[in-house]
Parts: sequence; structure tokens; C-alpha cells
Amino acid sequence: MFRSPRRPRRSTAALTALLLALLLALTACGSSGSSNSAAASGSPTAAGAHFPVTVSGANGKVTLPGEPKSIVSMSATATEMLFAIGAGSQVKAVDSTSNYPTTAPITKLSAFTPNAEAIVAYKPDLVVLSDDLNGIVKSLAALKVPTLQLTAAKTLDDSYSQLETLGDATGHPDKAGAVVSDMQTRIKKAVASVPATVKGERVYHELDQTYYSATSSTFIGGIYKMFGLDNIADGAPKAGSGYPQLSAEYVVGQKPDLIVLADTVCCQQTAAIVAKRPAFDTVPAVKDHHVLELNDDVASRWGPRVADLVESIAQELRG
Amino acid sequence: MSRQADPTAPRSTRGARVEVVGLSAAYGRTRVLDNVRLTVEPGGWLAVIGPNGSGKSTLLRSILGFQAHNGLVRVDGVDTTGMPRRERARELAYAPQRPVLPEAVSTRDYVALGRTPHRALLAPPRPVDRQVVEDVMDRLGLAELADRLLRTLSGGEQQRAVLARALAQQPRVLLLDEPTAALDLGHAQQVLELIDRLRRQDGLTVLSSLHDLTLAGQYADRLALLSGGGVAVEGPPSTVLTAAALQTHYGARAEIVAAANGPVVLPVRAPE
Amino acid sequence: MTTTAGHRRADRSSAGPPPARRRRRTVLALGGTALALLLALLAGVAVGAVPLAPGAVVTTLLDRALGVVGIHLHAGLVGSDAAVLLQLRLPRVLLAALVGAGLAISGAAYQGVFRNPLADPYLLGAAAGAGLGATLVIAYSPAQSIGPVGIVPLAAFVGALVGVGAALALGTATGGSSSATLLLAGVAVASFLAAGQTLVQQQHSEDLRAVYGWLLGQLGRAQWSDVLLVLPYLGVACLVLLLCGRALDVLAVGDDEARSLGVHPGRLRLIVILAASLATASAVAVSGLIGFVGLIVPHIARRLVGGSHALVLPVSLLTGGAFLVLADMVARVVLAPAELPLGVVTAFIGAPFFAGLLWMGARRR
Repeated sequence: MFRSPRRPRRSTAALTALLLALLLALTACGSSGSSNSAAASGSPTAAGAHFPVTVSGANGKVTLPGEPKSIVSMSATATEMLFAIGAGSQVKAVDSTSNYPTTAPITKLSAFTPNAEAIVAYKPDLVVLSDDLNGIVKSLAALKVPTLQLTAAKTLDDSYSQLETLGDATGHPDKAGAVVSDMQTRIKKAVASVPATVKGERVYHELDQTYYSATSSTFIGGIYKMFGLDNIADGAPKAGSGYPQLSAEYVVGQKPDLIVLADTVCCQQTAAIVAKRPAFDTVPAVKDHHVLELNDDVASRWGPRVADLVESIAQELRG
Repeated sequence: MSRQADPTAPRSTRGARVEVVGLSAAYGRTRVLDNVRLTVEPGGWLAVIGPNGSGKSTLLRSILGFQAHNGLVRVDGVDTTGMPRRERARELAYAPQRPVLPEAVSTRDYVALGRTPHRALLAPPRPVDRQVVEDVMDRLGLAELADRLLRTLSGGEQQRAVLARALAQQPRVLLLDEPTAALDLGHAQQVLELIDRLRRQDGLTVLSSLHDLTLAGQYADRLALLSGGGVAVEGPPSTVLTAAALQTHYGARAEIVAAANGPVVLPVRAPE
Repeated sequence: MTTTAGHRRADRSSAGPPPARRRRRTVLALGGTALALLLALLAGVAVGAVPLAPGAVVTTLLDRALGVVGIHLHAGLVGSDAAVLLQLRLPRVLLAALVGAGLAISGAAYQGVFRNPLADPYLLGAAAGAGLGATLVIAYSPAQSIGPVGIVPLAAFVGALVGVGAALALGTATGGSSSATLLLAGVAVASFLAAGQTLVQQQHSEDLRAVYGWLLGQLGRAQWSDVLLVLPYLGVACLVLLLCGRALDVLAVGDDEARSLGVHPGRLRLIVILAASLATASAVAVSGLIGFVGLIVPHIARRLVGGSHALVLPVSLLTGGAFLVLADMVARVVLAPAELPLGVVTAFIGAPFFAGLLWMGARRR
């Protein structure tokens, strides 16, 4: 209908504005309310995803104009997270330590001595890493490659928020949220399944056969705290770093009820080998066969498999 | 010379005859000694003299077997080339010009090293070894210095200690490389008197290289002048030490004066 | 015969008192150091991360010792305390004594053979060879042991011997085996092997902690099997070295004079170097690279008993054992339950000691 030009435009404009405002309000309420700033605006792409999006990591804020389709992951945990939240098909290359899942496109890129040129050769539109070694963050910034640094989690909440950040960054916020819920449920169930008598039992977490351990202030230490266990590494004077080196004598003297081996892959330690160590036959954990062999990766990463870790510990504690 | 005919000196037949036949030695391509022939009678003292670089030390080292050489060395008619080292050490004793003086070792322990050729290398010292060491130190006046560290001794005392070690070997031939090089006149004379007395008491054969021509002439029975790679002149001191020989081989101007015990060499300056 | 002092002295026979006095001094020195070693061993087993009453410790040890001949006291520690004492501390302390003794006597032998007070057992490439061997297996070997023998000790042992062998081969290739040539060959071989080790470390930086843990010296994993493993090699090597004491005294006057005394300096040097290298390789295999023991302890021994190797070698052996047992105690106690690397402790003790020695020596002059 032809009316006078201004009046129809004004009313159409007002209607569009109203609709937009409504949409804005809906998406604002619909967002998971995480601690990350995920300002969504513009046109929606995949289910619940909005681009451009700004996420923040240890290296500051990163804005991604569109859904990244060529992600390079230099962190084994980030790789696990990316694949768990459904962004696997967007991952172009992962570093040499990212061995899970096995379908990840593993390359020779080194996470310990990262080389900006080698990374850029894969033409990434997002690089995810955990440690800023060799000035890699600065190099990638100079090459104008969006980089997201997600450092080692100190607590489970850190893990969850990293999953959500990656969900926002890759366009899978809903799936990320689902993964987080699943983890939370499983962990809660595992902790509840353990009898109350377990509280106060002593645990020794072994990182390598030279008796490096982890105190309660670390990620894994926090998990043992969840179960109410006493960590023998807390008594070590140099516990400040979180990863003190103990001695055979100290461990034996502390008489731990549970020994968790996180060095089965790197150092080929097994329950049988531990039982054969001199003086270890007097340790309660060895006498009662409470030596849990964990896969090194599961024990040291903070991705979705933490739920597996917690379930394994719970199973061992139940008997 | 009166010394050799001294009837009061005990004559023992201990000393050995040393014969050097056709000895040639070289350092790399430089021939130092060429066809040297020498004989030292048992109980005699042959002083090897010669200008710098004439090969005095090389000759002694060759006789001792440290220096590769052609030719023969015979001790009492026995060729030393095939001799096992220990046997040779029981015959020939060496006192070097610059001895290595070990740190933190007492004089007695140092002299006791001389007994090495006589006992099994790994065995502890036997009473006879200890006795020989004490006797030798007494003879050389080192008894009070026995427990002192070798390095704390004076130059003259150290020289006596080296001699004592050589004598502890109970050798038949004593080879001395410049025994007076580091000593002042008084100590030099003392040491040479000592050597001469020991020679006459034990009947040792002495073969020494000496720098100082006068001392050589006063103390040795016979001199051998090395020059141009060979023995230029050999014989009693009065025969060897002549102004002409000194001019020819040393390029030196000297006057020879006969004294009681041998010729004295007086260097004289050319007139203006 | 006048002495240099210008006095005439009556001839005095001195074959009487001195030998007896010296024998007494020898017995005192050897007895004293043996006692020091015993006390160090006792102190070593008495302290650690787990507090054990010293009385109970002694009773337990006596009980086990007498148990060998069938007498049982039925007293002392039990359970995990006894296990800590007998399975962890005792082998460790004994191993420290063995390693310290082996390194010290090797150092004394090397100092004698090279006539150099700064020589130490790692001189001819033993340390560099052992380091390379250990680094190679830490980086590349999937297996942890071959039969009862750990792979790292084995590689370190072989590496040390290969290092020394290469230095000997290089040093004697040009004919003759003078100390100077051997030293230079040792430096060349050590540099080459150390460069190789650095290269491997760079390629495998994730193993760096394991490599340095080994390199800096540790006895944290000492077990009875380690003691039994090194005992034959160390025993034979130390025996040979002890027998060579007098021979080293003869070498002290230089090659030429030694020849004039009837010995073969080259041959002697070779035997001593081989024995000392065997002792060093065995020590390094179980303990990593512990420095300063081989360098400092012979100097201590010389201060106690003078320069004669016949005495310096056994005194070094005993003093080295006591020294390392005490150093290991410090390593275990200072930051308990964590342990300081043993090589760091010996360096912290050794370096100032050495500086003190130099300063005192300069003052005397």
C-alpha cells in the first residue's frame, strides 16, 4: 500500500527495532551466563552461536569475526575439549602430544618449542594453546592470527569455563554447556558413591618414580580434597610450588592408604613394581592392594576426561 | 795425578766397565751424536765436556736407555739393549740435572725410592731396604734432614738427596748430569768431593757431564770432549784441556795453568 | 763431612726410633679414618625423613647382624620403621660409602698418575661418557631395565668406560703415553661427548628434568641390589689401586727418572688409569655425577698423612666414604622430605674448602 513515504518507514522501522530488541533480550536471557564475556550480536549462524564473538583467555580478549573453520590446537587438553564439544571437524591440525581422540589430525608441531611459521603454514583462523613458550603468543599476534591461551586449570570450575569459552569461540555453545553438565553430574555421582569412612584416608599421588607428587593446591589435589582424602604431599616443606619432590622414606613413613600412579606411561610404573620397591611392602596401600594405575594423560589433563578420572578414583575407593 | 794412585783408599771391585761403541742419536732429523766411542774403566771417573748442544745430556740419556739410539752400550761386556729395565736399574743409577722433586714427600721417602729396582714394586720396604737408606743418608750427612719435607731443603741439600737416592740403588755405575749446575762454588766443591770419596770407597764408576772445565779437570780421571757429534779428544785432563783444543772446539781464549790436582782453565780476554 | 750449617756432627745411626714412630703414625691415620667412616655410617642410618630413635636403630642393626650367626635379640624396630631402616637407609648409606670411597681413591690415583693436584676421576672423559650414555637411554629407550640391571646405570657405566677408552686410544695413538698427551686427549673426548649430550637434551627437552636429576647426583633410589651390583667392580678396582700406591710414588719423580729406577711409566699409568676408571664408572653408574669428592678428599688425605701414595690412597678411600655419607645426610635432611642433589651438596662443601686450601697455601708462601 502506498502511503506517505515517511510514516510507513517510521512504523516499519519501529517494528523492526522492537523485534530486534526482543531478539536481543531473548538471546541475552538464553545465554549460559558464564563468567566469560561473550557479547553476541549480528546474525546467528549455527544453533545458539553468534558471530562475531569476543572471548577471553590468559592472553586477553580475542575477537573472532566468523566461525573458525581451520583451528590449530597446541594443547592436548584443548584438543580433547574441542572434539568433545563437536568442533572436531573445524580442527585442521593438533600438536604432537594431542593423542586423544585418535581421530584428531595429529602433526609434528611441538608444544614445548612452538614455531610460529610451522603453525601458520596450516593457515589457521584460530590457534588454541596452553603455554606461552618461545614468545609464541607475541609471534602469532604479529602475524595477526587469532590466538586463545587457555592455561592449565587450577580447579574444576576453570575447566568448565574453558569448555564454555571454546564453545563460544567455535560456535558450539550449547554442546559445550551439555558437556559441562554431564561432567558435573558424573562427578557429583562418583563422589556421592563413596562411603563416608573414606574421609581422612591418606593418598599419595605419584607423578614419576623419583617421587614427585602434587599437593592439595593443584588440580588433581583439589579432586582428592573433594573426596575428603588427606594428601601426604601437603606435609612437604617445599610444597609451595604445588609439585614437591618427596622421598621413598617419606612416603613409606606417611603410610598412605591409597597410591595413585600417574606415571604408568612415561615411566612404566605399575602396582606390581611399586609393591617391589624396598620398604613399600609395609605401606597400607600396597598391603590392601589399593594402588590405582592411571593413564598419565587422563591424570594430567583437565578436559572432559576428568570425569573418567574421578570415576576411577571413586571406584578404587569403594573397594 | 795423585788421587788414582792413593794407596789408602779401599779398592773394591764393585765398579763396572762401561763401553760405548758406535753410538748415534738424533732428534728428529738433527743428528746430535755420530758414532761415539768411549770406555770408562771400573772405578774410574769420566767427565764428558763440550760446548752447548754438543750432546752431553743426549749421551747420558742414551746410555741409560731413555733415548733412542743406534750403536751399543756394554756394561762389563753385557749389552744393555736386551737388559730388563730393573736389571739395568741395578747397574746404572742416574742423578739428573733438574730432578723432579715430589711435593709433600720426606727426604727419607725420597731416598727410599732408590730401592725400587731391588724390591718387588708392590711390596712394602724390607728391613734391608730401610738399612741401606739409613746408611746412605748417614754417609751424605742427611740424617737430621730425614724427616723434613724434600722441598724445604736447600739446593745443596737437595742435590745430596738426589745423590743419596742414586746411591741407594747400590749401582755399579753412577751417571750424573751436571751435578753442580745449580750450586755455588762452595757447594759444588763439596758435592764433587763427596762423589770422589764415595767413588773411592765403593769403587763406583762415575760418568758425569760437567759444564765447568776447571772442576772437570780437578776431579775427573779422564775427560772426553764432545764436539761436532763425536768425541774430539779423550784422555787425562792435562791432555784434553789445552788452549788449542779450547780455541778449536769452544771458540774460547783461555790459559791453562797446571795445579796440584789437575789443570785450571783461566778464561782471558783478548788484548785491545 | 760438614753440613751446610757449618757444624761438625758426630755420625749418628738413625735406624731405630723413626720406623716405629712412622708405623704408629700410619696406624693412627688409618685407624682414625676408619673410625670416622664407622661413625658417619651410624649417623647416616640414624637420621632421615622418618624419625627413628637412635637406640632402637642400634638395637635393630645388632639384631640383624647377630641374626647372621643365629642369635636373635627379638628387639628393635618393626614394621615400616624397620623396613625404612633396613631396606631404604642402610643400603643407601652403604652405597654412599662405596661411591665416596671409589671416587676418592680414583681421584688420588689420577692425581698421582698425572702429577697434578687438580686432576679428578672425570678427567679422561668418564663423566662426559656417562652423561651421554644416560641421556641417550633416558631419551630413547622404552625399556627401564635389562633383567635385574636398570638401563640408566648400565648405559652410564658403559658410557664412562667408552669415554676413557676413547681418550686412551687417542692419547696413545701418537706413540708414547705422556701425561700431557693423555690430558689433552681427555679434554677433546670430553668436549665431544658433552656436545653430543647437549644435542640429545635439546631434542628431548621434556626429558630434561629426568636427565638433570641423574646428572646432579643422587642416591635416592639406592637399594641392596645396587650395592651388590657395584661391589665386585669397585672392590677389584680399589684393591688394584691400593696395591699400586708405592708404584705411584715412583712415578712422582717423572717418567725419565722412573725409568732409571727400573719401572715402565707408560705401562704403570695405563694400569692405574684402567683401575681408577673402572671404580669411577661403577660409582657413576649408581649415583650419577658427584663432583668434588675425587678432587678434595685426596688433598685432605695428604694433609693428614703426607705425600706418600702408599698412605694417601687408603686414607682417601676411607675419608671419601665418610665424606659422602655425611654429604648424603645433609642432602636428605636440609630440605626434608625433598632431597638436594648430592652433586650440589658436595659442590657447596667442596668449593669453599678448596678456596680455603688455596688461600692457606698462598699464605704459607
